[in-house]
Amino acid sequence: MESEKKIQLSKHEHKPLQVNPIKHSQPMGAALAFMGIKNCLPLMHASQGCASYTKVFYTRHFNEPIAMYNTSVSDITAVLDGGDYSILMSIENIGKKNTSLKPELIGLHTTGLTETKGDDVRSIGMHIEIPYCYVNTPDFEGGMESGWALTAKALIEQHSIKTAELKPNKLLLLPHVSMQPVEVQKIKECCEGFGFETLAMPDLSTSLDGYLSEGQGKLGTGAISIEDIRDLGSSATVITIGTSMKIAAKALLAKNEKIIHLHFNHLMGLEMNDNFVASLIKIRQIQPRPLLKRWRGRLQDAMLDSHFLIGSSSFVITGEPDMCVGMCELLQSVGGTIHAVIATTYSKVLEEIQAENIFVGDLEDAEVHFKSADLVISNFHAERLLHIQEKHTALILRGFPNYEELGNQLKNDQLYEGSTYFLFEVANKLRGIKHHE
Amino acid sequence: MVNRAKIKELMNESACSHNKDKKKGEGCDMPKPGTATGGCAFDGAQISLFPYADAVHLVHGPQTCLGASWETRETRSSYKGCDHTVMGFTTGITTNDVIFGADKRLADSIDYIMQHYNPEAIFVYSTCVTAMVGDDIDMTCKLGSKKHAIPVVPVHAPGFVGGKNLGSRIAGEAVLEHLIGTKEPEFTTPYDINLIGDYNVTGDMWQYLPLFEKIGIRVLSSMSGDGRIGDIRGAHRAKLNVIVCAKSLITLCRKMQENYDIPWISVSFYGKRDTTFAIMEIVNALGDEKLIQKAKEIIAQEEAILEEKLLPYKMLFAGKKAVLNTGGNKAWSIASGLQDLGIEVVATSIRKSTEDDIAKAREYLGKNGILMKAPASEQSKVIDERGADILLAGGRSLYTAIKKKISFIDVNQEKKVSYGGYKGLLNLAEDLKYAFRNPVFANVSKKAPWEAE
Repeated sequence: MESEKKIQLSKHEHKPLQVNPIKHSQPMGAALAFMGIKNCLPLMHASQGCASYTKVFYTRHFNEPIAMYNTSVSDITAVLDGGDYSILMSIENIGKKNTSLKPELIGLHTTGLTETKGDDVRSIGMHIEIPYCYVNTPDFEGGMESGWALTAKALIEQHSIKTAELKPNKLLLLPHVSMQPVEVQKIKECCEGFGFETLAMPDLSTSLDGYLSEGQGKLGTGAISIEDIRDLGSSATVITIGTSMKIAAKALLAKNEKIIHLHFNHLMGLEMNDNFVASLIKIRQIQPRPLLKRWRGRLQDAMLDSHFLIGSSSFVITGEPDMCVGMCELLQSVGGTIHAVIATTYSKVLEEIQAENIFVGDLEDAEVHFKSADLVISNFHAERLLHIQEKHTALILRGFPNYEELGNQLKNDQLYEGSTYFLFEVANKLRGIKHHE
Repeated sequence: MVNRAKIKELMNESACSHNKDKKKGEGCDMPKPGTATGGCAFDGAQISLFPYADAVHLVHGPQTCLGASWETRETRSSYKGCDHTVMGFTTGITTNDVIFGADKRLADSIDYIMQHYNPEAIFVYSTCVTAMVGDDIDMTCKLGSKKHAIPVVPVHAPGFVGGKNLGSRIAGEAVLEHLIGTKEPEFTTPYDINLIGDYNVTGDMWQYLPLFEKIGIRVLSSMSGDGRIGDIRGAHRAKLNVIVCAKSLITLCRKMQENYDIPWISVSFYGKRDTTFAIMEIVNALGDEKLIQKAKEIIAQEEAILEEKLLPYKMLFAGKKAVLNTGGNKAWSIASGLQDLGIEVVATSIRKSTEDDIAKAREYLGKNGILMKAPASEQSKVIDERGADILLAGGRSLYTAIKKKISFIDVNQEKKVSYGGYKGLLNLAEDLKYAFRNPVFANVSKKAPWEAE
């Protein structure tokens, strides 16, 4: 569209509107997080459209029925109701309509509408018999990544019991929002391989993981229950993956200050995974399983195999900050040039990325840089934009939403194993377009 | 700004069959907390207007409204310029805007759009938050319109005023107030019609528009599939309004009849019989004897060609029985299509249907057809009792098909091909052919080795 002009990384917007946005809202992140809790009833305090859009969005991304309810705030309740009526009536109506439904947690989160009207969602919890968690997630602040993280934080703050006890081999993973269900599962397995009793929160590995069963889409089916969340304070170790999740770890340390907190910006590439595995070895004082060692060797080999193609290529990446940082570091570790990173929202971790251009923006901004890229990593919206440009540019679809491809929930880019597959995918896509030239 | 009186009027639309059996003043149902599932008024408004590819659609609100909804609909356009229907524009307001108002942001956004995209018009959609904080969207649009000399149309359908249907009506009001009658068409003919309510999803309109052309029916404007702003501005000169499968824009048509003396008819283009019926309705309403004769000729030709092409499918589908579980007018329109292909429709859902829809479903299915009021619980039994071969329903019913080991088509999934008109029937036939011969549903239902027989 326009010629490249340098946009600085900033918390402030560089134009009055977004054209072809990549940013997703906070309430959408919160809704997804609640789907990662066992038997949770995700309830969006909003007009019915917010939930309907979110539901369609995730249904098409995951190709799964989505558990989501809403309080259907109307223009009249927006003014006259403090939230009590619509929230309590919703819970009653959902129960009446679905008598077999036995939620163990009501996951309530707000939206721009209900934050503007200023409902006291905290006090409403006193009138609800089922355990209740509230999160303030206006969609005029933050983004999907922060909505997800705020929900994890709220669950810990409101439900984890303060304790001084520690279970030495108990570990809690706090994964960032861009991790797909299978990635959470793989990281859990890796930790279990070191003998950790491992929990993840939110845990989508048994929710939205593309699994055929009856009666889906009524409640969250995540692998962590409200009982588990109550006892999180006894975890000896908490590992955050993604900078956005640090706030949740901080909330947990307030429940038990003896917990050891380990942080990793991501789990992509050799270096970060070496750090991760080294930390696990240090705590458990045992050797990794043979297969993990094997995968490290495979990653080394993949790096060598792919370095020629990737090392001579230029990349543009768009997406949530915690996802972008991992991809940049992995590609740079094999010589890739990051021409531009266009992030959905501002995050401190973006300051750490070494790239020629890095800023918060939309696909209108990104499109300007597409012509300088051999390969673009973006969501499905980039597909059409690349299609209409003359230059052949390869595309890998990552992040939300991916409406067109199937099996998104089973794409693994994490650990030695996922990084290996990722490098091959990138290299093979590059081969496709370089062959063309 | 949002006009309560107008909303009440729209909800009590006298011409709407939803409201026939209701007391005065009751009107459309308001959403019930906890159980409302469909889209909101904004969603409906956007759906109704978005197909105008030569206009920019600017959503004035926080992130969810547009962030999760752009580039999700398969509405096709033949517009040669920059197609804005596949793009998303939003002011994406932030906390500051909620506190201090976002009028300036909106005005700047309009300027930005004019500078970079130069569209024929801009639709500005208010949303719950911007309606509630009281941005003066009307004034900002008016000033923008004046400054840039194009229509900048405010659409006041914030989500919380109601459901999709209401939003669609509000969109109709906006078009009526700000666009229709603001420009004269270059020329008119006695066979000019407006198409109302077909959004050209998967190119539905393109299945029947070539027939119109052969017959001599001229589409003066469309609201809004493959529509142009310039055309809808001259829509007041049409001789007939044709509503396609949409109850929501009845108000628009009724008002156009009152204001411009344009009569309206309601038709559907699903299946052979409906397509033929629709064309005859249109030419009869236009009332020109030559046109009617021409239509009869073309229909006879097209039906003959279609019948020949359908023959192999009909042989394939002979004796097949289907259960249909979908809402609204699909309950009978798809049934009609299936019957045209020689498939017996043994049951259909009337859960969300209006009285008119139910009557039509009964008419199509005959006295032995089952009209399911609670399809989720009824359909299993019906499949067993009637020995159905295929279930056409939403994704949630997939499990029923697997359990019953019969074929399945997800009718609610975004289609990639059109089922409209004569040619669309062939697309439906193709999809059915593949569904019937696919063994996947029976294969998936096999027991795991660790499960007891």
